[in-house]
Amino acid sequence: MRGYYCIIIAISAVQNNLFAAEAGMPQLDPKYWASQAFWLILVFTILYISIAKFYLPKIKNNLDNRENRIKVDLDDANKFKELSELKLKEYEKILDDAKKEVIKIHIESKNTLDKEIKSKKEAIEKEIEKEIIQAQKEISELKKGSISDIQKISEDIASNVIENISGDKLNESSIKAVVEDISKKNIGKYL
Amino acid sequence: MASNPMQQFSVHKIGPEIKIAGIDLSFTNASLFMVISASIILLFLFFGTKEKKIVPGKLQLVAELFYTFVAKMISDTAGSKAKPYFPFIFSLFMFVLFCNMVGMLPYSFTVTSHIIVTLIMALFIFIAVTIIGFVKHGLKYLSIFVPSGVPAVLLPLITIIEIISYLSRPVSLSVRLFANMMAGHTMLKVFGGFVISLGLLGGWLPLSFSVALTGLEILVAFLQAYVFAILTCIYLNDALNLHH
Repeated sequence: MRGYYCIIIAISAVQNNLFAAEAGMPQLDPKYWASQAFWLILVFTILYISIAKFYLPKIKNNLDNRENRIKVDLDDANKFKELSELKLKEYEKILDDAKKEVIKIHIESKNTLDKEIKSKKEAIEKEIEKEIIQAQKEISELKKGSISDIQKISEDIASNVIENISGDKLNESSIKAVVEDISKKNIGKYL
Repeated sequence: MASNPMQQFSVHKIGPEIKIAGIDLSFTNASLFMVISASIILLFLFFGTKEKKIVPGKLQLVAELFYTFVAKMISDTAGSKAKPYFPFIFSLFMFVLFCNMVGMLPYSFTVTSHIIVTLIMALFIFIAVTIIGFVKHGLKYLSIFVPSGVPAVLLPLITIIEIISYLSRPVSLSVRLFANMMAGHTMLKVFGGFVISLGLLGGWLPLSFSVALTGLEILVAFLQAYVFAILTCIYLNDALNLHH
């Protein structure tokens, strides 16, 4: 590429009489050197002062601000992250506690329920037993009562039957003895 | 004379002749384009720093990009000691860059294609860097010419070479920029001339060359501004951090 450049420039130089006195490099003509130097120094000095005094501090300020802002924001974000993690732990703990409590309540209620059922059951059973005993007692009383009633009725019936058949009045005590004897023999069949 | 590719570099007076103490300081087209470039920079920076948004707008972003670009360039090459010279390097980079870029516009004038302009900048940098070196390090600054780890036999020779290379810094710095800009613009002009002289039939090839060269020249314009600034940083680094 460099060689190509040189050849092109050389050709153009020859073509255009580059090195002739009237068409040389204008850069080498010292006529305006002083002017260029003067204006360069002037313009560059103004440029330098305005850049150094106004613009660079502005840009630097802004960049610093942004960096600070980003840093602060990052710090905040970290803080919030930590906070949220803490909250999450707290929440999990609460959830755990609640679960434990639920289990506890469940067991407790189950126990009390069981106890209650048991006691109620026992009470009912006792009552039932009592009633059964009462009923048995009543039954046996009834039985006893009924036996004496039956004997009396039997005696009456027997005395009436004998009176009607024979016209005689038999001794009550003898009837009673006979009925008793018979009923004792046969009572096992009915009761 | 329009076909002369060097015509574009000629300086002519604009307005009245200004003479101070017998020296011609007239306002010329070169001065005009210096003023235009500087004005564009100042306008750009004015609008780029007008709003101070946390999320920057387009111009603000570009201004901040320039700032961070130059700041990084300085801190990478010259370290933190070069911070006081940041405004100067920034101004220099912007000025050279905008002069180069404004020179890419058709019918404009390329300020940096003049050896006197680049030489003054380079000489200023050279003298300033030398003064900084002597102020910071005193006579020890002369040790810049004596690289460490060189055999004693070679030392005189190396020292002479170092002195020559140090003294040729302003020349190389100025000629690099000047020659690159001049060569590029001459090439563009020559190809432009070919387009006209070859006409509708054959002009397409040089035209396409011209288009490609314009892209290349824009790259060169940026690159030379960057090289100019980074070499200044390197020279400054030599003066600030004296270690060999």
